[in-house]
Amino acid sequence: MYKFRKFLRALPAKLFLLLALIILFSFFANDFALVDIQKTAIILAAGVDRTEGGFRVTAQIAVPKSGDRTAGGTSGVEIAGEGESVAACFAQIYSKTGWVPKLVFCNLLLLGEETGKEDVLPCLDYFLRNEYMPDSCLVAVCAGEAGEFLSSKSAIDDLSSGAAQSLFSDAAEKSGRVMKCSLKEFTVGYFGASGSSYTPFLRRIAAEGERNAGGGSGGSGGSGAPQGDSVYSAAETAIFQKGRMVAVLPPEETFAFALLKGRVFASAFDVEEAGETVSLSILKNSGKVAFTAKGAPQAELSVTLNVRLAGRDTPATVGEIARSIPSPAVLAAAEDLLQARLTALWERCKSAGCDLLHFARTLQRNAPKQYAQYGKQVLSLTRVSVKARVHAVK
Amino acid sequence: MKYLTGNSAQDVAALKKLCPAQDVLTFPFAAEGGIAFVALYADAVTDKELLGSLVVRPLLHYTGEADAQEIGKRLAFPECKRERALNALAAELLSGNPVLLAEGVREGLVLGAKKVFVRAVAEPPTDVAIKGPREGFIEDVKVNTALVRKRFKTEELRIEMVEVGRRSKTSVALCYLAGTAKEEVAREVKARLSAIDIDALPDSSYLTHFLAERPRSLLKQVGTTEKPDIFCAKLAEGRVGILADGSPIALTVPYLIIEDFQSSEDYFVPSYRATFTRILRLVALIVAIYLPAFYIAAQLFKLQLLPIKLLLTIAGSIRGIPLSPSLEMLVVLVTLEILNEASIRMPKYVGMALSVVGALVLGETAVSAGFVSTPAIIIIAFSGIGLYAVPNLIEQTSVIRLAMLLVAGSVGTYGIILATAFLLFYLVTAESFSSPIAAPFSPLVRSDLKDAFFKYDLRSLDCRPRAIGSKNKRRLRHE
Amino acid sequence: MNKIKSRQLYLYFLAIAPVGKLVLMPTQLAVYAGNDLLFPAAANIVLQSAVIFFVMLLARRNKSLYALVEARLGSIAGKLVCTLFSLFFLYAALLPLLEQKLMVQSVFYDTLPSTIAFAPFFLLSAYLCAKPLSSLGRAWDVLAPLSIAGFSGIVLLSAGGADFGALKPVFGQGGWGFLRGSAYTMSWFFDSALALSFLGKVEYKAGMAWKSALCYLAGGAAVLLFLALFYGTFAEVSVRQLFAFTKTAKYFSGVAVLGRVDYLFIFALALVMAFYCALPMQASVDCVREAFAPKNRILHNVLAILVNAGLLLGLWLLNFDFLSTSTAIAKTLFWIFPVFTVLLPLILLAFGRDRVQVS
Repeated sequence: MYKFRKFLRALPAKLFLLLALIILFSFFANDFALVDIQKTAIILAAGVDRTEGGFRVTAQIAVPKSGDRTAGGTSGVEIAGEGESVAACFAQIYSKTGWVPKLVFCNLLLLGEETGKEDVLPCLDYFLRNEYMPDSCLVAVCAGEAGEFLSSKSAIDDLSSGAAQSLFSDAAEKSGRVMKCSLKEFTVGYFGASGSSYTPFLRRIAAEGERNAGGGSGGSGGSGAPQGDSVYSAAETAIFQKGRMVAVLPPEETFAFALLKGRVFASAFDVEEAGETVSLSILKNSGKVAFTAKGAPQAELSVTLNVRLAGRDTPATVGEIARSIPSPAVLAAAEDLLQARLTALWERCKSAGCDLLHFARTLQRNAPKQYAQYGKQVLSLTRVSVKARVHAVK
Repeated sequence: MKYLTGNSAQDVAALKKLCPAQDVLTFPFAAEGGIAFVALYADAVTDKELLGSLVVRPLLHYTGEADAQEIGKRLAFPECKRERALNALAAELLSGNPVLLAEGVREGLVLGAKKVFVRAVAEPPTDVAIKGPREGFIEDVKVNTALVRKRFKTEELRIEMVEVGRRSKTSVALCYLAGTAKEEVAREVKARLSAIDIDALPDSSYLTHFLAERPRSLLKQVGTTEKPDIFCAKLAEGRVGILADGSPIALTVPYLIIEDFQSSEDYFVPSYRATFTRILRLVALIVAIYLPAFYIAAQLFKLQLLPIKLLLTIAGSIRGIPLSPSLEMLVVLVTLEILNEASIRMPKYVGMALSVVGALVLGETAVSAGFVSTPAIIIIAFSGIGLYAVPNLIEQTSVIRLAMLLVAGSVGTYGIILATAFLLFYLVTAESFSSPIAAPFSPLVRSDLKDAFFKYDLRSLDCRPRAIGSKNKRRLRHE
Repeated sequence: MNKIKSRQLYLYFLAIAPVGKLVLMPTQLAVYAGNDLLFPAAANIVLQSAVIFFVMLLARRNKSLYALVEARLGSIAGKLVCTLFSLFFLYAALLPLLEQKLMVQSVFYDTLPSTIAFAPFFLLSAYLCAKPLSSLGRAWDVLAPLSIAGFSGIVLLSAGGADFGALKPVFGQGGWGFLRGSAYTMSWFFDSALALSFLGKVEYKAGMAWKSALCYLAGGAAVLLFLALFYGTFAEVSVRQLFAFTKTAKYFSGVAVLGRVDYLFIFALALVMAFYCALPMQASVDCVREAFAPKNRILHNVLAILVNAGLLLGLWLLNFDFLSTSTAIAKTLFWIFPVFTVLLPLILLAFGRDRVQVS
């Protein structure tokens, strides 16, 4: 008994020693079936294209420059994998490189144009289920193939994904020229009552001479892709219904959509008034989609702007420049222009069958009974009016 | 127990037997009245000049009776006591006090003519303050108590002497303010000091092991300082102080961990500045402990702990490094500890060479040779500097840093969280003389928070820290 | 070690108890109650706070659970009740442990680690179990501000991205959704039973019962706020979002620039959670120790090791059966929780009050 007590008294110290040994062992063994930075392929962007047999995933992997002491410069390499599933594609990438692909830093998920024409959820499914994939990652559709796009050489950044992502900055969003969307937002829209979502639509443009690669909206950019260094444009927006890309909003409608979301704070737009082009800079923007289900469903798309004169194409006096207050006629022309763009946006959504403005969701939230009655047809039943108010900053 | 016989030849022989060392000398002389005296003293530790001028010279003309009391009166020596026991006389002799024997007298006179080797009171190397007193404790307990007495001209200051060490018989002074310090703490400290049965006490740090409630604890349980102003401030807060002869380091109990984040200068500068520097010390300490660990955990287990651009820079730096990230960090950390240890122990003349070797050869060349990466050196250097923001905790924090590094390298980020949880619980349950060392944070003592990381204006600090349990709560009275 | 101070108990109810409800419970609620997830959670919170109020009335008697039952029904009944509660606490510990383990694997690692990676938790837990329950009070003093800071940080970073409109239509899921949501999340609400284990270890103060209940309600309100944020952030895809509190803050715009700053708050809450997860095991060990050998430290330590080793083994065996295990605990056997967290405490209160009147 004495010996047992003695043993018990010494037990904590022995256990502590044992614990220290275990920690030391695992420290030096350094293996919990984990993959450290030296065995990792840090994926910065992934492009998904559909193929006949399944998918092709192109991963843009960061390649750190050895011994490079200057920050900022990152080179990358694009490795593609093909398979029946996205997971199989990644397995192939792994087998090609020997580095374990990690998605924790994947900030751009690019879908090829053709891929977007079918339900994109099977392409996103792998990423949605992966606990290590950040769903704050941006989703975009590009003209042509995603793999080609990622492999293209950017004129402004070491990596194509880096150049593309700089288009989705907060500042760019405030300009109203791009409507960015994260994977989470995309899926919330997809699974929501409206079933709609949107992503920026990326195009490659030749850096020299600013030649347009893809032509008009909805046109395929694959064949006309520029050779050499490119710059990218995200001024168009792809809109989705139930995961299928049903239309591409041209820059004007993307701008109207951004105004409707009330996100534009530092931008300018041109207005034609009496044969003269006047630029108005936006200082404040509020936008609203007011939907009501009392009686017949009605919606009002309204945008209110506070603007000041930013420029005109005819000579002005110093006094005028100093005041920079747009005339009532210019303001009226701006209102007309915005109303036309909002109407065009609505018409495009309606014709594409895309509930981009979330009428169904609003109906479901505020009038569940009516939603049960006619929720599926809300797009065709809703009478939409548009209103644009443009005020001068005095 | 043997006593003096009155036969000086016999008594000298008996004392020489007890003190056989060759440096114990005798000086026989006779007075005018015919009495034969013998002065015994330990050479080198006795002030012979004092002995000659204040003892031998007056006694040469002594014509009185052979009586110890009479002889003592004739001497007019301020430190003179009578003693009969041979053992006690031998002990005094060895501690430097000469013993005077007279023929036919059965009592010896112990004379306080010990030679005192003291260095001047100077600014200590630790607890340095740009503003504030420059005095520091020295190795002599009497000088140290004098420095304390100088600051407290009150009868409430109690200085109780305890002798510690079977052979060294080191004087230990227990200082406290009666009515302010908790009597139980003073009693307990005295009891623990008296219970120490050790050969010798080379330094006050020995005492910390006997005063601590958990002697094997990782955490510090006794406060230390080298400055009398800090020592006195702590006494004024209700703590009990301990000064040991031969050590310039004073001890204080109960100890609260927040003490080590407070500097004397915090009380000499505006409170906002003091608050800022205290928070800075805390941040520096946290960064110093956790930075290497999180750096390793980020590389091995959780890349997302680092922003992508930084991660890529690091990834670029570590390419081609032959060691795994954890081993690399351990190597750099151990190298730093070796450099640190060597720079303290090394003679000052080669210190410069060590700096050159450490900084250039080990640092720059190792990076150029691809043996270790630049970020690893930066991280450890930053951590090393951060640790010294709270120098009094360096022994503990450097061990914790190493433990965190090992845990991070083996279990990862969650290991760091668990180790922190363990440390936290260990800290909050630790006590020093019944005061929780994590106070005023745990248990939460709201009034004491005024002098924690946020330091209030001096006029707001009207109460002594409640965590210490002082009986006299108010230290500042407002008109 | 002194008793748990009343302030420390309030801090526990206010800031420690709610953290256990931020991991998988929001997802579970989203599955069963959809956008009405706030109502079942509120119902459970109110019910628990009411029972906590009654349980803390018993604290006035300054007796442990065992002593209370023993005084009324004898030592055998006391031992039986304590054993039952001890087993219940072990059972209740399973779900938090399972969710903690999954969270650790997902949030603290970039690739799925081996099961052993979670094992160190049991070292901490065994250490905590070997200490008296009353020593926890001081830890709560430090953990509560940490929890409040972590929670506030996450709420602040998440608030901007939440669309509270997603919570409409109010009561759209109907009574069935409410009932299912309430019943199937009861396994996260065993705080009133834990409060029983605090009896005799708390320094009683007048008004402790209502203050405890109020603090629990306040903590519950924080949980409801988080649930609203959670559903506002993820809406229909909430059912997919496991480990809720680690997810909502990452959409904060600063994260893109500074990196995952939200991890600071997540780690703070994970630290608090480590203590929270160990608490049912501590309560379990403490119940047995109180009833069978209150002074035997060796038994206490052996029990602490056994309980933790047993749960580690259990967790290892259930490694790939999380879904079926959580379904069994939360759905099939949900009724066990109201028995131990509502029924038995109220019966005990009836006995306790009776005794007070007699004396």
